[in-house]
Amino acid sequence: MAKSKKPPEMDGALIVDEDAEEGAAAKSGDDDVQEDGKAELAVEMVEEIVQRMGLDVRVEIREDADEVVLDLDGPDAGRAIGKKGQTLDALQFLINKIVNRFPEGRRHVLLDSGDYRERRDNGLASLARREAKRAVQQSRVITLEPMSPRDRRVVHLSLAKMPDVSTRSDGQGADRRVRIIPAGGRRRR
Amino acid sequence: MDQLSDLVSFIAKALVDDPDAVEVEAIEGDKTIILELTVGDGDLGKVIGKDGRTARAMRTLLSATCAKQSRRAVLEILE
Repeated sequence: MAKSKKPPEMDGALIVDEDAEEGAAAKSGDDDVQEDGKAELAVEMVEEIVQRMGLDVRVEIREDADEVVLDLDGPDAGRAIGKKGQTLDALQFLINKIVNRFPEGRRHVLLDSGDYRERRDNGLASLARREAKRAVQQSRVITLEPMSPRDRRVVHLSLAKMPDVSTRSDGQGADRRVRIIPAGGRRRR
Repeated sequence: MDQLSDLVSFIAKALVDDPDAVEVEAIEGDKTIILELTVGDGDLGKVIGKDGRTARAMRTLLSATCAKQSRRAVLEILE
Protein backbone atom coordinates (compact mmCIF):
# COMPACT_ATOMS: atom_id res chain seq x y z
CA MET A 1 0.00 0.00 0.00
CA ALA A 2 1.67 3.20 -1.13
CA LYS A 3 1.32 6.10 1.20
CA SER A 4 1.57 9.51 -0.40
CA LYS A 5 3.03 12.22 1.73
CA LYS A 6 0.68 15.10 2.30
CA PRO A 7 1.95 18.46 3.39
CA PRO A 8 1.22 18.94 7.07
CA GLU A 9 -1.27 21.72 6.49
CA MET A 10 -4.37 22.15 8.54
CA ASP A 11 -6.88 22.96 5.88
CA GLY A 12 -9.84 22.04 8.00
CA ALA A 13 -10.83 19.19 5.71
CA LEU A 14 -13.14 16.94 7.64
CA ILE A 15 -11.47 13.70 6.77
CA VAL A 16 -7.78 13.60 5.95
CA ASP A 17 -6.92 9.97 6.36
CA GLU A 18 -6.15 7.93 3.30
CA ASP A 19 -5.98 4.57 5.06
CA ALA A 20 -9.32 5.14 6.68
CA GLU A 21 -10.89 6.25 3.43
CA GLU A 22 -9.76 3.05 1.82
CA GLY A 23 -11.76 1.23 4.44
CA ALA A 24 -14.74 3.34 3.48
CA ALA A 25 -14.38 2.49 -0.18
CA ALA A 26 -14.21 -1.20 0.63
CA LYS A 27 -17.54 -0.96 2.40
CA SER A 28 -19.55 0.42 -0.49
CA GLY A 29 -20.36 -1.41 -3.67
CA ASP A 30 -22.52 -4.34 -4.57
CA ASP A 31 -23.41 -7.07 -2.17
CA ASP A 32 -23.14 -10.03 -4.53
CA VAL A 33 -21.84 -13.15 -2.92
CA GLN A 34 -18.43 -13.93 -4.36
CA GLU A 35 -17.38 -17.39 -5.37
CA ASP A 36 -13.64 -17.22 -5.04
CA GLY A 37 -13.58 -19.41 -1.93
CA LYS A 38 -11.88 -16.72 0.13
CA ALA A 39 -14.48 -16.78 2.89
CA GLU A 40 -14.12 -20.55 3.23
CA LEU A 41 -10.33 -20.29 3.18
CA ALA A 42 -10.47 -17.59 5.84
CA VAL A 43 -12.70 -19.75 8.06
CA GLU A 44 -10.36 -22.71 7.68
CA MET A 45 -7.29 -20.62 8.50
CA VAL A 46 -8.89 -19.02 11.58
CA GLU A 47 -9.96 -22.46 12.80
CA GLU A 48 -6.48 -23.90 12.32
CA ILE A 49 -4.85 -20.99 14.13
CA VAL A 50 -7.21 -20.71 17.12
CA GLN A 51 -7.02 -24.46 17.60
CA ARG A 52 -3.22 -24.20 17.78
CA MET A 53 -3.65 -21.38 20.29
CA GLY A 54 -5.58 -23.83 22.45
CA LEU A 55 -8.80 -21.85 22.14
CA ASP A 56 -12.27 -23.36 21.98
CA VAL A 57 -13.80 -21.09 19.36
CA ARG A 58 -16.26 -21.71 16.54
CA VAL A 59 -16.00 -19.75 13.30
CA GLU A 60 -18.88 -18.92 10.97
CA ILE A 61 -19.31 -16.79 7.87
CA ARG A 62 -21.55 -13.84 8.60
CA GLU A 63 -21.06 -11.97 5.33
CA ASP A 64 -19.51 -13.04 2.06
CA ALA A 65 -19.86 -9.94 -0.08
CA ASP A 66 -17.37 -7.20 -0.91
CA GLU A 67 -16.03 -7.78 2.54
CA VAL A 68 -15.85 -11.14 4.24
CA VAL A 69 -17.08 -10.99 7.83
CA LEU A 70 -16.42 -13.94 10.14
CA ASP A 71 -18.03 -14.46 13.50
CA LEU A 72 -16.09 -16.09 16.33
CA ASP A 73 -18.13 -17.70 19.07
CA GLY A 74 -17.61 -20.16 21.88
CA PRO A 75 -16.22 -20.43 25.42
CA ASP A 76 -12.87 -18.84 24.48
CA ALA A 77 -14.22 -16.03 22.28
CA GLY A 78 -13.18 -13.48 24.91
CA ARG A 79 -9.60 -14.74 24.85
CA ALA A 80 -9.66 -14.64 21.05
CA ILE A 81 -10.63 -10.95 21.28
CA GLY A 82 -8.00 -10.08 23.87
CA LYS A 83 -7.32 -6.81 25.64
CA LYS A 84 -8.72 -3.92 23.56
CA GLY A 85 -9.25 -6.40 20.75
CA GLN A 86 -5.50 -6.81 20.24
CA THR A 87 -5.62 -10.56 19.66
CA LEU A 88 -8.58 -10.30 17.28
CA ASP A 89 -6.84 -7.52 15.34
CA ALA A 90 -3.59 -9.50 15.09
CA LEU A 91 -5.48 -12.57 13.91
CA GLN A 92 -7.40 -10.46 11.41
CA PHE A 93 -4.19 -8.91 10.10
CA LEU A 94 -2.58 -12.32 9.54
CA ILE A 95 -5.70 -13.82 7.99
CA ASN A 96 -5.81 -10.94 5.50
CA LYS A 97 -2.15 -11.52 4.62
CA ILE A 98 -2.84 -15.20 4.08
CA VAL A 99 -6.10 -14.92 2.15
CA ASN A 100 -4.91 -12.01 0.00
CA ARG A 101 -1.42 -13.29 -0.71
CA PHE A 102 -1.88 -12.59 -4.40
CA PRO A 103 -2.93 -9.14 -5.57
CA GLU A 104 -5.82 -10.20 -7.81
CA GLY A 105 -9.28 -10.29 -6.26
CA ARG A 106 -8.28 -8.93 -2.89
CA ARG A 107 -11.10 -8.93 -0.39
CA HIS A 108 -10.89 -7.63 3.14
CA VAL A 109 -11.66 -10.08 5.91
CA LEU A 110 -13.15 -8.68 9.10
CA LEU A 111 -13.20 -10.76 12.26
CA ASP A 112 -15.94 -10.12 14.78
CA SER A 113 -17.34 -11.86 17.80
CA GLY A 114 -21.03 -11.31 18.43
CA ASP A 115 -21.60 -7.56 18.60
CA TYR A 116 -18.04 -6.85 19.74
CA ARG A 117 -17.11 -4.51 16.87
CA GLU A 118 -20.40 -2.66 17.11
CA ARG A 119 -20.06 -2.13 20.85
CA ARG A 120 -16.46 -1.04 20.45
CA ASP A 121 -17.38 1.35 17.61
CA ASN A 122 -20.09 2.89 19.78
CA GLY A 123 -17.62 3.24 22.64
CA LEU A 124 -15.10 4.90 20.33
CA ALA A 125 -17.70 7.26 18.91
CA SER A 126 -18.80 8.41 22.35
CA LEU A 127 -15.19 8.85 23.43
CA ALA A 128 -14.65 10.93 20.28
CA ARG A 129 -17.66 13.13 21.03
CA ARG A 130 -16.53 13.60 24.63
CA GLU A 131 -13.03 14.59 23.54
CA ALA A 132 -14.47 16.87 20.84
CA LYS A 133 -16.48 18.75 23.48
CA ARG A 134 -13.35 19.08 25.55
CA ALA A 135 -11.41 20.36 22.52
CA VAL A 136 -14.05 23.03 21.92
CA GLN A 137 -14.35 24.01 25.59
CA GLN A 138 -10.61 24.32 26.04
CA SER A 139 -10.13 25.56 22.45
CA ARG A 140 -7.14 23.36 21.90
CA VAL A 141 -6.23 20.45 19.67
CA ILE A 142 -6.71 17.07 21.31
CA THR A 143 -4.67 14.15 20.06
CA LEU A 144 -6.09 10.67 20.66
CA GLU A 145 -4.05 7.54 21.25
CA PRO A 146 -2.72 5.61 18.21
CA MET A 147 -5.45 3.61 16.48
CA SER A 148 -5.95 1.21 13.61
CA PRO A 149 -7.25 2.61 10.29
CA ARG A 150 -10.66 1.19 11.07
CA ASP A 151 -10.86 2.83 14.49
CA ARG A 152 -9.65 6.15 13.11
CA ARG A 153 -12.37 5.98 10.49
CA VAL A 154 -14.98 5.49 13.21
CA VAL A 155 -13.67 8.58 15.00
CA HIS A 156 -13.60 10.68 11.80
CA LEU A 157 -17.14 9.66 10.87
CA SER A 158 -18.54 10.20 14.36
CA LEU A 159 -17.28 13.79 14.32
CA ALA A 160 -17.88 14.56 10.64
CA LYS A 161 -21.21 16.23 11.37
CA MET A 162 -20.03 18.23 14.35
CA PRO A 163 -19.76 21.80 13.07
CA ASP A 164 -17.30 23.09 15.64
CA VAL A 165 -14.50 20.54 15.16
CA SER A 166 -12.56 18.96 12.34
CA THR A 167 -10.38 15.87 12.47
CA ARG A 168 -7.25 14.68 10.78
CA SER A 169 -4.68 11.97 11.30
CA ASP A 170 -0.99 12.43 11.88
CA GLY A 171 1.91 10.07 12.35
CA GLN A 172 3.09 7.00 10.52
CA GLY A 173 2.07 3.36 10.65
CA ALA A 174 1.15 2.00 14.06
CA ASP A 175 1.69 5.44 15.59
CA ARG A 176 -0.95 7.21 13.51
CA ARG A 177 -3.32 9.22 15.71
CA VAL A 178 -6.45 11.28 15.19
CA ARG A 179 -6.26 14.94 16.13
CA ILE A 180 -9.46 16.74 17.01
CA ILE A 181 -9.20 20.38 16.03
CA PRO A 182 -11.67 22.99 17.29
CA ALA A 183 -12.97 25.33 14.59
CA GLY A 184 -11.63 28.89 14.90
CA GLY A 185 -9.06 29.96 17.46
CA ARG A 186 -6.82 27.05 16.50
CA ARG A 187 -3.50 26.90 18.12
CA ARG A 188 -0.40 26.53 16.08
CA ARG A 189 1.04 23.04 16.00
CA MET B 1 6.59 -30.28 18.02
CA ASP B 2 5.22 -28.28 20.91
CA GLN B 3 2.14 -26.11 20.63
CA LEU B 4 3.91 -22.77 20.24
CA SER B 5 6.32 -23.97 17.54
CA ASP B 6 3.39 -25.53 15.73
CA LEU B 7 1.49 -22.22 15.84
CA VAL B 8 4.41 -20.22 14.46
CA SER B 9 5.20 -22.85 11.86
CA PHE B 10 1.60 -23.03 10.64
CA ILE B 11 1.25 -19.26 10.26
CA ALA B 12 4.67 -18.85 8.62
CA LYS B 13 3.95 -21.62 6.11
CA ALA B 14 0.67 -19.95 5.18
CA LEU B 15 2.43 -16.63 4.57
CA VAL B 16 5.47 -17.61 2.50
CA ASP B 17 6.06 -18.73 -1.08
CA ASP B 18 8.21 -21.66 -0.02
CA PRO B 19 6.54 -23.45 2.92
CA ASP B 20 9.04 -26.33 2.79
CA ALA B 21 11.82 -23.97 3.80
CA VAL B 22 10.06 -22.91 7.00
CA GLU B 23 11.74 -24.15 10.15
CA VAL B 24 11.05 -23.40 13.78
CA GLU B 25 13.48 -24.29 16.49
CA ALA B 26 12.35 -24.03 20.09
CA ILE B 27 14.87 -23.28 22.82
CA GLU B 28 13.21 -23.94 26.14
CA GLY B 29 14.31 -21.98 29.14
CA ASP B 30 12.93 -21.91 32.65
CA LYS B 31 10.10 -19.48 32.07
CA THR B 32 10.87 -18.41 28.54
CA ILE B 33 10.71 -20.30 25.31
CA ILE B 34 12.62 -18.84 22.40
CA LEU B 35 11.26 -19.69 18.97
CA GLU B 36 13.73 -19.29 16.15
CA LEU B 37 11.99 -18.97 12.82
CA THR B 38 13.88 -19.55 9.58
CA VAL B 39 12.32 -19.04 6.15
CA GLY B 40 13.54 -19.41 2.58
CA ASP B 41 15.47 -16.78 0.68
CA GLY B 42 13.13 -14.02 -0.37
CA ASP B 43 10.43 -14.92 2.14
CA LEU B 44 11.86 -12.89 5.01
CA GLY B 45 9.72 -9.87 4.17
CA LYS B 46 6.60 -12.04 4.18
CA VAL B 47 7.04 -13.01 7.83
CA ILE B 48 8.27 -9.60 8.99
CA GLY B 49 5.91 -7.36 7.03
CA LYS B 50 5.83 -3.62 6.58
CA ASP B 51 7.21 -1.95 9.70
CA GLY B 52 7.38 -5.42 11.27
CA ARG B 53 3.61 -5.67 11.49
CA THR B 54 3.38 -9.32 10.51
CA ALA B 55 6.01 -10.31 13.08
CA ARG B 56 4.23 -8.20 15.69
CA ALA B 57 0.90 -9.89 14.93
CA MET B 58 2.51 -13.32 15.35
CA ARG B 59 4.00 -12.20 18.67
CA THR B 60 0.57 -11.00 19.83
CA LEU B 61 -0.93 -14.42 19.09
CA LEU B 62 1.96 -16.09 20.91
CA SER B 63 1.38 -13.94 23.99
CA ALA B 64 -2.33 -14.75 23.92
CA THR B 65 -1.48 -18.44 23.70
CA CYS B 66 0.91 -18.19 26.65
CA ALA B 67 -1.52 -16.16 28.75
CA LYS B 68 -2.78 -19.17 30.65
CA GLN B 69 0.64 -20.74 31.00
CA SER B 70 3.35 -19.50 33.30
CA ARG B 71 5.81 -18.96 30.50
CA ARG B 72 6.65 -16.37 27.91
CA ALA B 73 7.44 -16.90 24.27
CA VAL B 74 9.98 -14.88 22.33
CA LEU B 75 9.87 -15.01 18.56
CA GLU B 76 13.19 -14.51 16.82
CA ILE B 77 13.25 -14.32 13.06
CA LEU B 78 16.64 -15.46 11.80
CA GLU B 79 18.14 -13.93 8.68
